[in-house]
Amino acid sequence: MNSTPTLSLGPATTDRSARLRAALARRTEWRGLALLAVVVVATLSFEPLVFTAYPVTLGRVALIGLVALGLTAVILMGELDLSVASTLAVAGVVMASIPNVALGIVVALCAGLLIGLVNAFFVVKVGINSFIATLGMLFVLRGLAFVLSGEKPVRMADIEAGIAFGAPIIGPITPRVLIFVLVFIGLQIFVTKVRAGREFYAVGGNRQAARDAGIPVSRRLVTGFMLSGFVAALAGVINTMERTAADPTAGSTVLLASIAAAIIGGVALTGGRGSIVGTLVGALSLGIIEVGLTLSGVQVDVQQIFIGGVLLLAVITDPASFRAVVGNARSFLSGRRGETPA
Amino acid sequence: MTADQTTPEAPGPVVIEAESIVKRFGGATAVDDVSIAVRSGEIHGLVGENGAGKSTLMRILAGILTPDQGEVRVDGRPLTGGTRAALDAGIALVHQELSLVPELTTAENIMLGAFPTRLGFTNARQLRGVAATALREIGVSVDLDERVGRLSVALRQFVEIARAVARKPRVLILDEPTATLTPAETDYLLTMLQRLAEGGLAIIYISHRIPEIFRICDRVTVLRDGQLIGTTPIRATTPAALVDQMVGREYKLDLQIRRESTPGEVVLAARGVRAHRVHGVDLDVRAGEIVGLGGLVGAGRTELVRAMIGADIRTAGRVTVTAHGRTRSISSYQSAVRNGVAYVPEERRTDGLALTMSVAENIALPNRRRLATGGVLRRSRVSAFAQRLADSVGLRPPDIRKDAGDYSGGNQQKIVIAKWLGRNPKVIVLDEPTRGVDVGAKAEIHRLIRELADQGTAVLVVSSDLPELLELSDVIHVIRDGRIAGTLSGPEADERSVMSLAAGGGMVGKA
Amino acid sequence: MKRGTRPSGAQTLQWVSERGIFFFTAALVAFAALFIDNFVSIVNITDVFHRAAPIGIVAVGMTFVVISGNYLDLSVVAQVATAAVVLIAVSNSAGLGLAVLAALAIALLYGVVNGVAVGYLRANAVIVTLSTTFVGLGILRWLSGGSIFFGPPDGPIRALGQVKVVGLPLSALVLVVMTAALAFLLGRTNFGFLIRSFGSNRTATRLAGVDTSRVVVGAFLITSLSAMVAGFVLAAFSNTAVSTMAQGFDFGALAAIIIGGTSVFGGKGSVLRTLLGVIFVSVLTNILVLSKIGFGWQQMAIGALIVLAVSVDTLARKAARR
Repeated sequence: MNSTPTLSLGPATTDRSARLRAALARRTEWRGLALLAVVVVATLSFEPLVFTAYPVTLGRVALIGLVALGLTAVILMGELDLSVASTLAVAGVVMASIPNVALGIVVALCAGLLIGLVNAFFVVKVGINSFIATLGMLFVLRGLAFVLSGEKPVRMADIEAGIAFGAPIIGPITPRVLIFVLVFIGLQIFVTKVRAGREFYAVGGNRQAARDAGIPVSRRLVTGFMLSGFVAALAGVINTMERTAADPTAGSTVLLASIAAAIIGGVALTGGRGSIVGTLVGALSLGIIEVGLTLSGVQVDVQQIFIGGVLLLAVITDPASFRAVVGNARSFLSGRRGETPA
Repeated sequence: MTADQTTPEAPGPVVIEAESIVKRFGGATAVDDVSIAVRSGEIHGLVGENGAGKSTLMRILAGILTPDQGEVRVDGRPLTGGTRAALDAGIALVHQELSLVPELTTAENIMLGAFPTRLGFTNARQLRGVAATALREIGVSVDLDERVGRLSVALRQFVEIARAVARKPRVLILDEPTATLTPAETDYLLTMLQRLAEGGLAIIYISHRIPEIFRICDRVTVLRDGQLIGTTPIRATTPAALVDQMVGREYKLDLQIRRESTPGEVVLAARGVRAHRVHGVDLDVRAGEIVGLGGLVGAGRTELVRAMIGADIRTAGRVTVTAHGRTRSISSYQSAVRNGVAYVPEERRTDGLALTMSVAENIALPNRRRLATGGVLRRSRVSAFAQRLADSVGLRPPDIRKDAGDYSGGNQQKIVIAKWLGRNPKVIVLDEPTRGVDVGAKAEIHRLIRELADQGTAVLVVSSDLPELLELSDVIHVIRDGRIAGTLSGPEADERSVMSLAAGGGMVGKA
Repeated sequence: MKRGTRPSGAQTLQWVSERGIFFFTAALVAFAALFIDNFVSIVNITDVFHRAAPIGIVAVGMTFVVISGNYLDLSVVAQVATAAVVLIAVSNSAGLGLAVLAALAIALLYGVVNGVAVGYLRANAVIVTLSTTFVGLGILRWLSGGSIFFGPPDGPIRALGQVKVVGLPLSALVLVVMTAALAFLLGRTNFGFLIRSFGSNRTATRLAGVDTSRVVVGAFLITSLSAMVAGFVLAAFSNTAVSTMAQGFDFGALAAIIIGGTSVFGGKGSVLRTLLGVIFVSVLTNILVLSKIGFGWQQMAIGALIVLAVSVDTLARKAARR
């Protein structure tokens, strides 16, 4: 077949620099990276302590980012999981209620997987929009956390294990940070290298095409929700270990923070666009802003204003909505120009 | 008539056959007792007007739809079990609408649903290798790692074909693959298909473009209104005979229906309109005149009318509406409506009607100001107004409290027209006004369009239905590649002249 | 799959999804009156209304955003608290009139910012209102220092909070009046018509020549004004205000809207349904409280109701399509 004629359509991207440029243009994390750059430069000049005290900063990033990573898997498929914060609380309470630490961790993580399965059941089998199904689960699980805990914090039976868990293990790296890094690496490999993970993009980007190509869409959705539930439960376990107690109200701010991290990192709520790296970038930005502002003596409230502003900026500068606005303005102007008397 | 199984031209054994397929959607029968058999090494053309049932039949062959009656067999074995089974049996469908995932790379899109894996991990080297082989096989060079969302429309079309070829199919089905291609690209595609057929592939080729059919097909099957008209070897037919079969004898143009028209002054005027897929169009529509826009699917007709009235972005050009001696420029869709433009969109279910609202509310929507006092809608006024219009368009049953979604396609189209009639439009733009509409409703919609013109409204109609276009229009502009390829009126307008202007770009390599 | 002979199960589902809330609310109230001790008492009924009124007012207003197909307005949490704090803090220093004006200006600002970002810039409503919640609550806590504000014990706000109309607190009357007014606005006026039409099919509405971006801004403005009224009611009830006082109003109001039977995909629903949803949730919560059943179970009940209501609606639609 060497002799077959070849049709050339569009510019060939054979030379190295063009290839590189094309590869860079593919990324979706640019806005997130731009923000991160600004944040890093600003904190370096105003509050370099953020980076000398990097264990603190990393801990903060891990706190914000862990749940966000699992959530990203669901958002990539164009779905949402509002139940993550309640899952975190339930898993924490479940773990603390079981005297044996190891057994507690296993049961809590299984609870996370089960919750994901239930979410997926309503979305896939019943056919409810995931926003509503997981909103219902948000209430149910929050209630469950209260019922299981008797409406008050539950102390871990083995406090020693908790204290040991909070201590740094490799240099200044605490287990929380280590687990965060491991989850990041795992998910990054999953969505870039594993077949099922790659197909998440197809499920979110063009669901009909995914079905037509024979991709088991329902199974991918189940995987996504179970991943999200598992990671949320993992965050619940870590919280409980570090505090040696589980609070049924734990994680109330986690939901909104993790959505914010994903959006800032360029993950599109419509599905099919974004990356795990993007979510990491978003979590890093948010974490550094928070720690930087805290160290500069700025109150928590003002930090919130910052984060809200950044998020608003991220969502209204989304390329899609930006194009719509520019397009409207252009056609309006061209119409106006035509209106001048000829 | 059934498929001719003893044609000497057919080179190999029958690979895929469909027998007595029937498929209904709601009340309408889309495919009615159709049989077709395609042999290895054969390119089998499938032609018919829009709505003849071609795409439905192909979706049945590809396992996307399940037939209500009849059977699909591959190598004599019945095919059941949906898309997956069809893929496994070696049937690959290249869709009319692109079915790629914009965020995945070229290689990944080619291998979508069939990633080579090792322990669940995608084998990137093998993936790129198979994709590259498929691209080499069709002779197209595309960056394997580029996101498909960044490729041109033509390249995406070839990526779709590469995906089908990568599955090593035994049957390749292409649905209007050249609609978005330039003549050079089309020429290339057709040569490539011939080469693939020589390798033993069975190809089903759906196209409106008659010259393409004659250039590459061995046999051709004609569908009309969901029924099989016949399968003939290409050498035993002529373009004219094929068009006759597609159009049907009872649908012969009746010149008696054409109106006596005495157009007035220019009401809608477009100058130098440019937009996506529209490359500079000047167009006038006069009061009382029906102007038709003909052309192939993808020629830019819908894009043109939408850009003219401001429904989509216009990058250049000026459009004006003249009424009561005043000329107003159209700068936005809202200004168009304000100045008396009415628009009946192509997709009435998604763009024309609020299906979960009542007929009365749908009709009231563009007329709400005059049905309200101080911003409060008067219910009695709304229902009297809506009832009058529903009666005047012949809605059946004329129950304005029912949801618009409960009505059939033809009645829904009447509701869309009714809501604009209430505004006494100066200009009405109709895009495919009778697509998917039954014969009775079609005649009524034609009557309504003529009445509007008789009352002095300037009418612009886009239609792929040739008899409709010829019957309705006083003047026909044929659009090709975003420009007016020619203008026809009076006796010079017939199916052949419109078709040849429309397909001009498609007559490639014809000896 | 025969046409014309729909199974009766589908009909039952459809009935439940369309008329169920009216029946279930009545049944629940009747059940409570008959079997729950202390349910029918002035003290208890007053308490139910006191609790239902603020979130109910938010919910009837937010119905506009939901019916317009924009999911919800998360920022009501910030809006309600801001209105309450501004009412008490500003009237303490500058008088009631100025306080109301300031709260009104803030409500309009919220409505316009949310509405413009969603309507004109086509941004996702969940994210936009999430970010305005961050900003709004941040500003409120920063300026208020997170402290609790008290009105003077003999001030006009306190007095209004004590007013009773035919035995019921003024807040109940405000809820009823707001529901009536907004039901009229949504059901009978051109503006409400456009909201419903936009929610049912935004493209068709745009192609009818409607400035749909303005419709979206309108929906958010109504929600913001309702949130302001809810903040006033909340402040008057306790004569105190604090930045955390409206926690849970966002999803709580949405829960009532969904349980009332308004579709989150827009187009379908009504203000009256939302009121019924609010009453249903409040009475149910009250029954659970009177039966000494804890907060956890109440939350689980609400969550289960949401999933149940939407499941019934989804399954009914699936059955109807067959």
